[in-house]
Amino acid sequence: MTVPTLKPRLLAATAVTAALALAVTACSSSAKSTSPGTTSPSASSGSPSSSAPSSGGSVTVGDSTTLSGAIAQLGQTGLDGVKMAIADLNAKGGVLGKTVKLVSADDNITPATGATEVRTMITQDHAIAMFGPVSSAVAAAQEQVTNQYSIPMFFYTSNDMGLMRGGANKYAFQFVPNTTMEPSAVADYFVKQAHGPITIATFAPDYSFGHDTVSGFIAALQRLHVNYRLVAQEFPPLSATNITSYLTAIVDSHPDYVFNAQFGSDLVNFTKQASSFGLFQKTKVIAMYDYNVLAALGSTTPAGSIGFDRAPFWAMPELGNFPQTFKAKYGDYPSEWAIMGYTAVQGWAWAVEKANSFSPSAVASALAGATVPTIRGNLTIQACDHQAEIPEYVGTIAAQPDPRYGVRLWNQPVFSAPFSDINPPCGASS
Amino acid sequence: MHAFVVDLVSTLSTAGYLFIVSAGLTLVFGAMRVINLAHGSFYMYGAFLVTTLVGASSGARFWWAVPACAVAIGAVGAVVELGVMRRLYRSEHLTQLLATFGLLLIFADLALRLWGTGARTVSSPSPFQGRITIAGATFPSYDIAITVVAVLVGVGLWAMLTRTVVGWRIRAVVSDPEALAATGTNTHLLLTVVFALGAGLAGLAGAIVAPQTSIAPGIDQAIIVSAFIVTVIGGLGSIAGTALGAVLIGVAQTLGTRYAPNWASTVIYVVLIAVLAVRPWGLLGAAER
Amino acid sequence: MTTTSAGPRRALVVRSVVVPVVLVAALLLLGHTLSITNVLTLEEVLGLAVFAAATNLLLGYGGLVSFGQAAFYGSGAYLVGLSWLHHWMPFWAAFVLTPVAGGVIALAMGAIALRTRRLYFALLTLAFSELFFQLVNVRYDFTKGATGIFSVSMIPASLASPRTGYYFTAGVACVSLLILWKVTVSPFGLVLRATRENRERAEALGVSVYRHQLLAFVISGAFCSLAGALFVVWGQSTYPDLLNWTTSGQPLFMAVIGGMFAFLGPAVGALLYQFGYQYVTQHSHDWQLILGAALLLVVLFRPDGLAGVVSRQTWARLSRFARRAGRRGLPPEREPAAMETPIDGAGEAARVPGSPTP
Repeated sequence: MTVPTLKPRLLAATAVTAALALAVTACSSSAKSTSPGTTSPSASSGSPSSSAPSSGGSVTVGDSTTLSGAIAQLGQTGLDGVKMAIADLNAKGGVLGKTVKLVSADDNITPATGATEVRTMITQDHAIAMFGPVSSAVAAAQEQVTNQYSIPMFFYTSNDMGLMRGGANKYAFQFVPNTTMEPSAVADYFVKQAHGPITIATFAPDYSFGHDTVSGFIAALQRLHVNYRLVAQEFPPLSATNITSYLTAIVDSHPDYVFNAQFGSDLVNFTKQASSFGLFQKTKVIAMYDYNVLAALGSTTPAGSIGFDRAPFWAMPELGNFPQTFKAKYGDYPSEWAIMGYTAVQGWAWAVEKANSFSPSAVASALAGATVPTIRGNLTIQACDHQAEIPEYVGTIAAQPDPRYGVRLWNQPVFSAPFSDINPPCGASS
Repeated sequence: MHAFVVDLVSTLSTAGYLFIVSAGLTLVFGAMRVINLAHGSFYMYGAFLVTTLVGASSGARFWWAVPACAVAIGAVGAVVELGVMRRLYRSEHLTQLLATFGLLLIFADLALRLWGTGARTVSSPSPFQGRITIAGATFPSYDIAITVVAVLVGVGLWAMLTRTVVGWRIRAVVSDPEALAATGTNTHLLLTVVFALGAGLAGLAGAIVAPQTSIAPGIDQAIIVSAFIVTVIGGLGSIAGTALGAVLIGVAQTLGTRYAPNWASTVIYVVLIAVLAVRPWGLLGAAER
Repeated sequence: MTTTSAGPRRALVVRSVVVPVVLVAALLLLGHTLSITNVLTLEEVLGLAVFAAATNLLLGYGGLVSFGQAAFYGSGAYLVGLSWLHHWMPFWAAFVLTPVAGGVIALAMGAIALRTRRLYFALLTLAFSELFFQLVNVRYDFTKGATGIFSVSMIPASLASPRTGYYFTAGVACVSLLILWKVTVSPFGLVLRATRENRERAEALGVSVYRHQLLAFVISGAFCSLAGALFVVWGQSTYPDLLNWTTSGQPLFMAVIGGMFAFLGPAVGALLYQFGYQYVTQHSHDWQLILGAALLLVVLFRPDGLAGVVSRQTWARLSRFARRAGRRGLPPEREPAAMETPIDGAGEAARVPGSPTP
């Protein structure tokens, strides 16, 4: 038996573990004491007790979102919107006299990473409000954490219905049209031009957002008594680059319309390949053709197809000078994610002022059912499910580039589906 | 007939670009016994670089940009070989894998800085902008271009490996490096050349596939998995095997989507497992001890 | 040997009693003193430590690089998650079943994969885990596809409280590590090491290498699967990424940075990796650059990991100290110098630069 060669290393490893653990303890306690401007959190909840706000100092809010990989553009531009909103708040003297600080991190599209980042932001950086991520899966993991600590969570990109759980969650707020509203709005626009019997194919990423959006669209078509026939339904994997085989299945079914629930780079990819197969000659595609996608597509942009967008800056005169200011600061016009991120921060700040308190519970109570002034006008937050009453925009893609932006956008007038038309009855959303 | 022609063409073009990417991977493995996880990064850089060189509307300029990308990415490969890979030839496979995974992360981060987060596109170059109809089946003419380039690359590699001195030396370094060193050949230089060639092929594949897809962060990791499957099925180190693997995966993907769309993405892994269970070193790979 | 047997026996006492007791005491203490965030990170680390140690049974002891460990890890997590989603069975039943399920999957997978060697073994295991990954992704109705399963009620309310969850995880992790360690020092573990060092000789001695490796694969799979269940206790969620190849790479990476030739090396690696990863992602948007550079530096300059770094000086000093504590006199062949040669490196170092013998 000459095995025990491992022994000294085992001992040393134990020693190293203990030393590291001590170091970690030391680090965490020092981090607590050096964080300025916030009161020490109670050991159990980690939420600040700020019932009596005083001038000066700062408060921290957090945003853990996707900044790398295939959907990084959604996360980065959204984060820019949040940043700009906070900079604008601070330029006007902060909120309740306090400067707002932002901590942000890349969730690497991994739920566990996103959840840990949110927890650290809440417990170590003392973030008192969180702004949501891109991916619905990360959002679900982060929401578990914000619930646990009773910290308000503002979703402004991920729009999964499941996140709101029928309004059971006091601390979650949705500043994006959800997966029922969005396809309903598209159907409302679509029904005006779809006459007679038509054939439809659907194409969506194979996860809950894709499935929910497609079934939401089909449900809306039935509600509107559209005479349609489904000829193909494809669910390629999210972020799949080689979609030729799924695409040929769609092309071969010769649909009049394709309802596509892809977004960002995936939609660009689909459109490129679909146009090389000549799909757009006889078929119109209905998809999230927002500013970023249209700008990326360039000459491949399919004129006559139908786009939808949660906040197209070029069709929102109420934004005033915001798009230009944003571009000056971040190099490009604001994406819908940026506008919704900006709006979500405004919602939080308004509620803090209204409640005259940073307390998460007071903020959440102040927001439910309130009407908040934002850059996109007054928005009411439904009391029942915390869904912001945001319209959805739909339009037909123009044949010529817009002279102001050099990108082929949508024909005027852009259809803006009012919230009351596309909103499912409250409580029926779960 | 119609469906068959469409399937055939899409299979060939899929197989074509998979072959170009995977050929570089298998070449590097054959010569150095290194699995390069950063190979997908070279592919992504090739695709991004072509968007920088030609802009959104490419035209005929594209055909100049493609070889330029291959050369530029090949140069990046040479730098990587000299700086990192050279130190790892004596290491375990695992160490090499981790090192190249580190490179993948670094390249991914730098790509975000160089080209941003958004998707980019390149339009199809002339004269492959339209569509072709054969036997009632319509498909993009650029599919033909990709297939032709893949065949040219394959033939070129074959000719280089069997008909030139460099090719002879590359094959020699695989089978008996010590004997080769004894003949006075600079094996270090040779390995740098092979690695640069592999990277260049990845860059070429990225550039050539660019007009067909959207170029965005994340395509590096997406392509590396496909490239592995192709190379492993064909047999690591075998160029002909890679061609065979690429066709097999193209067929499996096309048929899978047509006949079992809900299971399509699993089909290729079933094929891979089946092949390795029967022939552990791949279809045309040499058995290793 | 008989004359010096008092020393080894005492050393054995130190190893099998003192070390675990100290470790458990330290973990209990940390559970009390650390902030909630760090307790939760440590809880995650403990699960990953089991994952890494179980993987290292193959890597460090069996010389088998499996790139498919995520298949077991994810299966464990999905067994718990799907049991909750489809009301198959209560949490505890599912939790207890995870090692069994992991072992069965490993038996089937290993039976095929172990017919191949070295790199092809790594690639075949990778193919298996990617198959699992795709299966979970495409069966949207059954698994919730790429979205994953999220719910706090996935685990009993008693475990949902962070500190209780931590103590539970710490308990399971300690018992698992102890069992794994017992496996490594058992006769089976010794034969396994012999197969790593010289497969042909082991075979010549009548050892069935295939069977030993298969058993190691099954044990490893069982504990990786248990680690996956611990992930659910920590994260109250399960999603396809747990089955992806990047997840398979994690325990390998942890074993490399911690040192794969020390039993607790992978556990230390898990600690360093997870706290490091968290610190970097939290503090820099360029975490990929930093992590990639760190990875590159480790493998370029310290391929034998932390254990290798420390072994040269500190380890020697520590072992001298330990020897004195356990009363002087380890037999000379157990002097630190004798164990410094990384076993796998022995044959490799003889190669000519640039000569790629597989």
